[in-house]
Amino acid sequence: MNRYSLIIIFALLLVGCASAPMQAPAASTLPDAAPQEPLPSPTGDGVTEPEPVRSGNPAVVALLDRARMDTGAGNRGAAGASLERGLRIEPRNAWLWHELAQLRLASGQYAQAVSLARKSISFAGGDRRLQAANWRVIGNARVAQGDSAGAEQAFKLAAEFEPVVPTEQPATGLFGNP
Amino acid sequence: MKFPSLPWNRFPFNINFRSHARAIRLTVLVLLLGLSGYILYLDITIREAFEGRKFALPARVYGRALEVYPGLKLTPAQLVEELKTVGYHEDPEPEAAATYKYTLNGLEFTTRDFVFGDGPQAAQHLRIEFAEGRVSLLQDRGSADVDLPLLRIEPPLIGGIYPGHNEDRALLKLEQVPKPLIDALVSIEDRKYYSHWGIDPRGIARALYKTLSGQRIEGGSTLTQQLVKNFFLTSERTLTRKGTEVLMALLLEMHYGKDEILETYLNEIFLGQDATRAIHGFGLASHFYFDRPLERLELQEIATLVGMVKGPTVYDPRKNPELVLQRRNIVLQEMVRLDAITQAQFVEARQKPLGVIHRAPTGTSAYPAFLQLVHRQLQRDYREEDLRSEGLRIFTTLDPRVQRQAEQALSQRLADIEKARRMTARTLEGAVVVSSTQHGEILALVGGREARYAGYNRAVDALRPIGSLAKPIVFLTALEHSDRYTLVTPLDDSALVLKQAGTSDWKPQNYDHKYHDHVQLRTALAHSYNVSTARLGIELGVDNILDKLPLYGIERRPPSFASSLLGAFELSPVEVAQLYQTFADGGFRTPLRAIREIVTADGRPLQRYPLNVDPVAAAAPVYLLTNALQGVVREGTAQSLGNWLPAEMNVAGKTGTTDDLRDSWFAGYTGDRVAVVWVGRDDNKPSGLTGASGAMTIWGEMMKNIEPEPLLPTMPEDVELVNVDPVSGLVYDRECSTAVVIPFIKGTAPTETTPCADVATILPTDESPVIATDVKSEAKPEMNQTPEKSWLQRLFN
Repeated sequence: MNRYSLIIIFALLLVGCASAPMQAPAASTLPDAAPQEPLPSPTGDGVTEPEPVRSGNPAVVALLDRARMDTGAGNRGAAGASLERGLRIEPRNAWLWHELAQLRLASGQYAQAVSLARKSISFAGGDRRLQAANWRVIGNARVAQGDSAGAEQAFKLAAEFEPVVPTEQPATGLFGNP
Repeated sequence: MKFPSLPWNRFPFNINFRSHARAIRLTVLVLLLGLSGYILYLDITIREAFEGRKFALPARVYGRALEVYPGLKLTPAQLVEELKTVGYHEDPEPEAAATYKYTLNGLEFTTRDFVFGDGPQAAQHLRIEFAEGRVSLLQDRGSADVDLPLLRIEPPLIGGIYPGHNEDRALLKLEQVPKPLIDALVSIEDRKYYSHWGIDPRGIARALYKTLSGQRIEGGSTLTQQLVKNFFLTSERTLTRKGTEVLMALLLEMHYGKDEILETYLNEIFLGQDATRAIHGFGLASHFYFDRPLERLELQEIATLVGMVKGPTVYDPRKNPELVLQRRNIVLQEMVRLDAITQAQFVEARQKPLGVIHRAPTGTSAYPAFLQLVHRQLQRDYREEDLRSEGLRIFTTLDPRVQRQAEQALSQRLADIEKARRMTARTLEGAVVVSSTQHGEILALVGGREARYAGYNRAVDALRPIGSLAKPIVFLTALEHSDRYTLVTPLDDSALVLKQAGTSDWKPQNYDHKYHDHVQLRTALAHSYNVSTARLGIELGVDNILDKLPLYGIERRPPSFASSLLGAFELSPVEVAQLYQTFADGGFRTPLRAIREIVTADGRPLQRYPLNVDPVAAAAPVYLLTNALQGVVREGTAQSLGNWLPAEMNVAGKTGTTDDLRDSWFAGYTGDRVAVVWVGRDDNKPSGLTGASGAMTIWGEMMKNIEPEPLLPTMPEDVELVNVDPVSGLVYDRECSTAVVIPFIKGTAPTETTPCADVATILPTDESPVIATDVKSEAKPEMNQTPEKSWLQRLFN
């Protein structure tokens, strides 16, 4: 074996050593990947707002669709079960936590709506649109709880995160408002 | 007007003749009335008994359903194991429900129709492929293959419970019962079963003759009579009882068909006794004697059970195996004589040993501890009458794979520790709880080292002092006062004597019996220093700290003594898991759950236990606490966890050791799992183990096999990372190779700076700590570890 081939083998070994441990963690965080890119801001009137990418995992997307269907059919219990299935696959997906908060809001469970929205915020990172949506859930829940000062504060925060959204636009989410 | 003479006018004259006949007629009438009344009474009684048993369907308890999707970390072997757990079998043409076959890169299989808690899912023909330890393809096999985003496999049945009765049964439908069993039963017990009306007159005559001639009452009972007898079990053997039995048997046959009666018989007949528990029915007996469901018994095993019907107390295969073997062979002989089996089958079955397992499992479930928790939750949340609704289906959170790893790690490590320390075998006991971080679902619960046997459920019922596991509560309270405490705040670790009303003077000691002057807050936790923790807690106020326990889901209130801060109060392992769940989940408390939902037999949701969260601690202090708990594993008392898990896992955890080494604890979390292990002795004598040498080794062994996600908590917005000098805790004035990165709540990092003397190049390399790679080696107890390393050494940690 000549020196040249030895160098090549050595180089290959090095590449192998270097890439193997790097792949593992990258792959292992794959199912937990949160929505990455902040979405383009709506163009003023809020009509052309694109659907946000809620998960990169088709399994989670399928479960979100199913939750939407169940909610449409008036079956909030089953919708909640689907969202929880999604969360078992992607426990740190801030959109799933947000959808669950919306669902609780729609079911009149205001305290849980607030808690779940806070949980979503804790995973939302730099997604300002999601932050705003969560503060709107909190605001709406506080209105329903009779906490007008708290609600005002939450709506103000929502506006800070997403200043271009007109105030009369309802909270965007699968489950609407109560 | 003269009245015509009425008959009763003449009554006195005819008294002898007429009154006699009348009296007899009257008596007969009364007797008949009485008898029909009695028969009516018997009829009601027997029907009630029969209906009661017939409809007592148990609640079926399921584990979690495995969700399979492209990208999931799963191997073909793991999938096959799961499929086998839910009763699939290999088939070269896997088109029937619950069959599979291996292909080049994966499997082809067909699922069953299954009604989940949120609706039905039809059977599917599927193809799955794997690459690099993950699912790479999931398809619906059809005329055109369709990619599927997600598949939910039927959940494993983990047990059946009678929520109302607290009674264990394995109920069978007649079609589930193997034909040889019915053949054998009819052959040996009641050959005319399908033609008689409930009684066998010849048998009765024989029994009557023997009784009248002073011999013992015996035999002659049809299956129907035996069933009646079984409903009202008494040892009484009298003619009236026999008469009642005959009448009831006739009545039963009038009301019900042969199949119905036979099905009830198979579920009801007495087949043995296990301490205070009666073994009723072939389903349960099959588990009790062979540890397998009835469907999986072999011919000779079926014959054994049938043979025992004659008298399970005498024909007890564990007490009188010879007698039972003889009886079994008589049953086999009778079967071959009546052509129920072939001569070849007979010869083969006859040669086999009894095969009864030596020690009976205590139930039909492989997960008695978990099932007990489910049962308690049901009892807490329901009125008994709600649970009587037949055929409830209970969907739980148990993950059989995690459970298996937890059981194996506990039993294996305890045996290893006993051997290595020359302890008497089976001295140590333990318990394990594993839950999912963000959902609070209990994935595994092990109540003792023999997990298969129900008994003392230590995971739920063992209340033990938690020792240093309590310290994070003190440190979190401190970090919540961010104006006063950061991770590098120096704490006083000098000798302390505390005089408290109502108790003797308290002089906490460190484990190494030394005092450490001033130590950084993170170091005090990493090395679990008692004195500085006690001083910190007293500064914060003992009650201020203990009052927070309910926030973290701990209902018990420890006594208001400073010693409580060092864990001189008792919790169960499952309560400790609840406590650490909040730390693991960034300050959100999620009540631990074992049940997801309960559905009635017709698929109507009865109850859901939805995921609830509650923000009980601010994210930033919890983030700092987690960082300090990662320090426990990186450089503190749990450093030897590195023997099991790689540093990249970033595990956060805490060891706990109580006085005289009675209790050994470890509680910790990864990105997706919270787990607590307790080790000790049931008699509460010293176990000789620290948290690190006992419980932590089990934790490590288990987690290694569970393959958890690394812990990478999201950094809250009000936290910043700062390079500080590990020794002084001061901020470096520039980039420095000796710096450690410490998180601070914004605005709380030390303002003083220290110059960086970059001297890394002159470090002697042989002083770097050796990370042991021998996984089998016994972990070092806490006392053997260097309490404080120099900053040079720590550089390499």
